[in-house]
Amino acid sequence: MLPFILVTLAVLAAIVNILVQSLGYIPAFGLHDITLKYYIETLKRPEVLESLCVSLRISIVASIDAAVIGTLVCAAMVRTRRTKGGMLYAVRLPILVPHTVVAVFTVALLSQSGLLARMAYAFGFINDYSDFPMMLYGSGYVGVVLAYLWKEIPFIAYYTLALMSSISESLGEAAENLGASPLKSFFHVTLPMSMPAIAKSFLIVLVYSFGAYELPMLLGATTPKAFPVYTYIAFIKPDFKDRPYAMAMNGITLIIALIMTVCYAIIMHRMMKRLGGGDNE
Amino acid sequence: MSKADRKPYMNAVLILTLVIILLPVLIMIVWSFTARWPWPNIMPESWTTRTITELLYGSNDLVSILGSSVLLAVIVAVLGTVIGLMTARATEIYRIRGRRVVSYVALLPLIVPSTVFAMGFQVTLIRMGLNDTMTGVVISHLVAALPYCVTIMMDVTASVGDRLELQAQVLGASPARSFFDVSLPELLPGILSSASMAFIISYGQYFTTLLAGGGKIKTLALVMVPYIQEGDRALSSIYAVVFVGSALVVFFVIELMMHRAMKGER
Repeated sequence: MLPFILVTLAVLAAIVNILVQSLGYIPAFGLHDITLKYYIETLKRPEVLESLCVSLRISIVASIDAAVIGTLVCAAMVRTRRTKGGMLYAVRLPILVPHTVVAVFTVALLSQSGLLARMAYAFGFINDYSDFPMMLYGSGYVGVVLAYLWKEIPFIAYYTLALMSSISESLGEAAENLGASPLKSFFHVTLPMSMPAIAKSFLIVLVYSFGAYELPMLLGATTPKAFPVYTYIAFIKPDFKDRPYAMAMNGITLIIALIMTVCYAIIMHRMMKRLGGGDNE
Repeated sequence: MSKADRKPYMNAVLILTLVIILLPVLIMIVWSFTARWPWPNIMPESWTTRTITELLYGSNDLVSILGSSVLLAVIVAVLGTVIGLMTARATEIYRIRGRRVVSYVALLPLIVPSTVFAMGFQVTLIRMGLNDTMTGVVISHLVAALPYCVTIMMDVTASVGDRLELQAQVLGASPARSFFDVSLPELLPGILSSASMAFIISYGQYFTTLLAGGGKIKTLALVMVPYIQEGDRALSSIYAVVFVGSALVVFFVIELMMHRAMKGER
C-alpha cells in the first residue's frame, strides 16, 4: 500500500506545483504574490483561445468517432465470434504502437506525396499531388485526428470486448431466444449494458488526446498550435517571467480534464440509475 | 435467418479493420529500405541498405539504446505489477478501509494529462535532485502505468480470492508459502497482462521521458523523433520497425511464459 501512496503523492505533487506556480508563487524566481492575473491574462490572449479550441476539437471529434467505430468493431468481433486468436492480436497491435511511430506512417500515407495521394493519382482522381487535400501540417488537423483514430478505435474495441462478449452470450442471447431480432437485442440489451466499458474508454481517450503532445507537435500546424504544444513552448522559454503563464495554461488543461471527468461521472450515474431503476418498476 | 444475413457486413467491418491496422506496418517496412521513391510511383524506384548501416553505426548506439529502453520498461513493468499486487491484496484480501477510494485514486493519472503531470513533476524532481536521472524517469513512467496495473491486479485478486490460500494455512503452510504456492499461480495471467501493459506504456513514453530525463536518458521512442522532424522517412521508418519488432519480441516471450504457466498448472 505504501508504494502506491508514494506514486500517488508524485501525481499530487505535480498538481500542487502547477497550481502554486500558476497562482504566481515561485520564490526561486522572486515571485511571492498570489494572484489570478496569470490565468486572466492567459485567457485574454486570442491565440490561447484559438489553440484551446483546436485541442478541444481534435479530442472531441477523435474520441466520439473512435467510440462509435470502436463499438462497431467490437460488436462485429462478438457477433462473428472472433474474440480470440488472430483478430484479437490484430486489435491489440495499435495499443503497443506509440504515437511517435504512428506519426511516421501517417506521413507516409496521408501527406500530399504519400501513398494515398499516389493511389488517387493512379486511379485518375487527381492530376497532381497539389490537388490532394492537405491533411497534415494544416490548421484543420485532419491528419492528427485520423492518426488518433488508428490507435483509439482498437483501444476502445479491446477495452469493451470482455464485457460486451459476456453480456452478448448471456443476456443478449436470452433476448433473442425470447424473440428479439439481433438488432433489437443489440441496441436494447447488449449496447446499454456495455456502456460502462465504452464510456470509460471514451473518457480515457478524450482526456488523453486533449492533453497529448506528440502527434500535434509532429503532424500539426505552426499556427494555431494544439494547446499542449503551445504550453510546452511557453514552459521552456528561458525567461522566468513566462513560467507562471505556462503553469496557468497547465492549470487550464487540468481544469478542463476535470470537467470532462465530472461530466462523465454524472452521465454514468444517471445511466446506471436508469438501468437499475428498471428493476423496481 | 437474419443472423446469417448480417454476418457478411460484420466480416467486411473486420476485414477493413485488419487492412487498416496492418497496412501501415507494411508501409514502414517498405520505406525502411527505400532509396528513391519519386512521385507518382506506387512502388519505390530503388532500394538501399543505408538505413541498416546508419542504424548500426550511425550517431546513436542502437544496441545500448535498445538495451536501456528494454531495461527501463522491464523495471517499470516489475515495479508497477508488484505495487499493483500489493495494493490489490491490501484492498481485496485484507479489506482495508477505503477500498473504493483506492480504486478511484488509482485512476488519477488517467485524468491528469501526461503533459500536465510531466511539467508539474519536473519542479519536484529538480527539488529532489532527481531530474535527468533514471530514477526520475522510472517514477514518471510508473505514474503512467499504475492505473492499468492496479485495475488489472484488483480484478484478478478479487476473482481469485483467498479461500484456497486460507485452506493451505489451515493445513499448516506459512502465510508466505500459501501465497506463493497457492495464490500466485492463479494470479499469473493477471500478473503477466499487468506487466505487459506497464512495459508497453513505459517503452512508448516520449514526453515524460523528455522532461524527467532532460534528454540525458535516451530511449528508442526518444531518439527516433529527430528523424521524423527532419523528414527522413527511410530512417524514421526503420526506427519505427525496430521499435514495433522489439516490442513484439518481448510480448511473444510474455505470451510464451503465460502458456508455460497455464500448462504447468494442469
